Amino acid sequence: MNRIKMIVGLFVLLCLAGCDGLVTKFESEEKGILYKADHSIDPPTSADTLTVMTWNIRFGARRLGWFGDACGDRVILSEDEVMLGLEGIANKIWELQPDILFLEEVDVESKRTGYIDQMQWLLDHTYFNYGAYASMWQAQYVPSEGLGRINTGNAILSRWKITDAKRIQLALRSDQDALTKYFYLRRNLLIAKIAIPGLDNFYGACIHAEAFSTDDTKKKHVEQCVEELTKITDDDGLFILGGDFNLLPPGSDSTDFCDEDGCSDEHFHGKNDDPLHKDGSNYTPEITWLQPMYDNFSCAVPLAEFQSDQLHHFTHTTIHPDGYWNRTLDYLFANVDFIAGSDSTHQEAIPLSDHCPVTAKWRVSK
Amino acid sequence: MRIIKLFTLLLLIWSAGQSESTTADESLWARESAFLLQRGRIEKGVFQPLTYGFSENLEFSTHALAFFVMPNLTAKWSHQNVGDWYFASTHGLIYPTPLLRLISREGTGGIISPEFDIPHLFGISNGILVSRRFQSELITLKAAIDVGLKTGKLDERTTIDLPLVYPRLQPFYTGCGLRFGFDIRHQFTSKIDVLTDADWFVFPGSDEGFAWEHKTLVAYHSRRNRFSLGYKLVYGEYPFGKAWHLIAPIFDYQRAWGK
Repeated sequence: MNRIKMIVGLFVLLCLAGCDGLVTKFESEEKGILYKADHSIDPPTSADTLTVMTWNIRFGARRLGWFGDACGDRVILSEDEVMLGLEGIANKIWELQPDILFLEEVDVESKRTGYIDQMQWLLDHTYFNYGAYASMWQAQYVPSEGLGRINTGNAILSRWKITDAKRIQLALRSDQDALTKYFYLRRNLLIAKIAIPGLDNFYGACIHAEAFSTDDTKKKHVEQCVEELTKITDDDGLFILGGDFNLLPPGSDSTDFCDEDGCSDEHFHGKNDDPLHKDGSNYTPEITWLQPMYDNFSCAVPLAEFQSDQLHHFTHTTIHPDGYWNRTLDYLFANVDFIAGSDSTHQEAIPLSDHCPVTAKWRVSK
Repeated sequence: MRIIKLFTLLLLIWSAGQSESTTADESLWARESAFLLQRGRIEKGVFQPLTYGFSENLEFSTHALAFFVMPNLTAKWSHQNVGDWYFASTHGLIYPTPLLRLISREGTGGIISPEFDIPHLFGISNGILVSRRFQSELITLKAAIDVGLKTGKLDERTTIDLPLVYPRLQPFYTGCGLRFGFDIRHQFTSKIDVLTDADWFVFPGSDEGFAWEHKTLVAYHSRRNRFSLGYKLVYGEYPFGKAWHLIAPIFDYQRAWGK
């Protein structure tokens, strides 16, 4: 009997220990994952001006017709395809020489990109020494389209040491059924403390807000972002945030991209069309949602500058492989002004991703 | 969790009243050993295969529920015993192509990307089982070679990188795989036994070279019914690296007909 009890007890304990869920859920706040490059390149011992850059690198898929964000049929890329994308991204980073880099859609363990740890690869093939990563989608298996295992998220790369990083969970969508919601992305705001010479309270922040919601999730993400960044300001800290908000700047001329984004078998805006708009392509009801970021912080591309020449500041397209930039989704914000006129929207990088990098310079206040 | 607790509680209460002989008839619920089912006996589980005692020295089994999308058949053939050691060989054939093509699809339920073609795949498995009873324990040693044949190129990106599944499909990518293992079945009473086993999968010539699986099942059985509950622990090397997986609880209900 004792043996039975022992075995049954052991079994019950193992049951209680349970299995890992298919999908990783996150706490409202938890540590970000820190990385270090294999090499060690001495960072500058003083910093007067920082060049910062944000870039949604589309997991190195360049302009391939991936099923999830374009009207393509590609799902699992070959290793050669991914390496071509990563090498292009690394070359562009070398060319633009940012000191701090904010990246979105970085795969670290995904079947779709050959399980290449892109975070480590980019550190090892550029001059950055340190990185911080926060996953927005981590699942042992996504049983859709053969997607399989995935771990993708946003990241901060720095010449200087990242001493701490935290992952802030952003609101989940409320417009999905339970099963879809379980397997869907869990967006985040990543905040990393960076040891820049002469600054003892400097933070880099990276956000990739919701893209396809039809409810007010994007608005909640902006509100959460403002709240977290305000805490840094209130604590006499300095920050620069880079990210893809999936929102247009207020005052954008064009706000409905359903026709541009629609696939050949889709039709929108018709009397009998259901849905009337393509998910994630109609920004009209959301056009003021990013205003609190402009109201509270400084944007590398001030609204007036954007509105005076919108085409010049477009950072995104959904049309592959030949479409050109047609909207602005990527931003740099800080709580101290960027150097006026230092911003650049690198539209020449169009073969490398469906977003282009945006850079700006920021004077280190002593 | 309540169901598990209730089940284990019932098991404990029930077993407390038992004082029967602990010897069991090896020809009942004998799938994981060199013993064969009695001629004419049929056993079928929710997850375990349908097994049929065809003759005194031949038994057939198939995963019946999956048969129409994954035709499969295994024969177990008993050989001359040597002293207290019993020998049997297993010979199996499986054709997983219809199932893999079924789950290679767009949208929800797509386990394999539809951008790849799945050729005709034939799996041939040959193994040996050696069993011996030691008082209340039945110990079985096993070894097998799995050969995967295909009529065309099978893209490596079609692997299903999940425990249990990945090592079983790996011979179709590597050409062959080897399996070794042992089972120990301890008979507590005539109606309660515990089965614990370990299996190693190795794939010569593959970068993802191994898998190790262990399970423990507590089973209550009569001549006609068998309930089992337990866990499975898996450690293996996948395209993304090495990983542990605990799969718990696992359960099964089996029913027998015939002798």
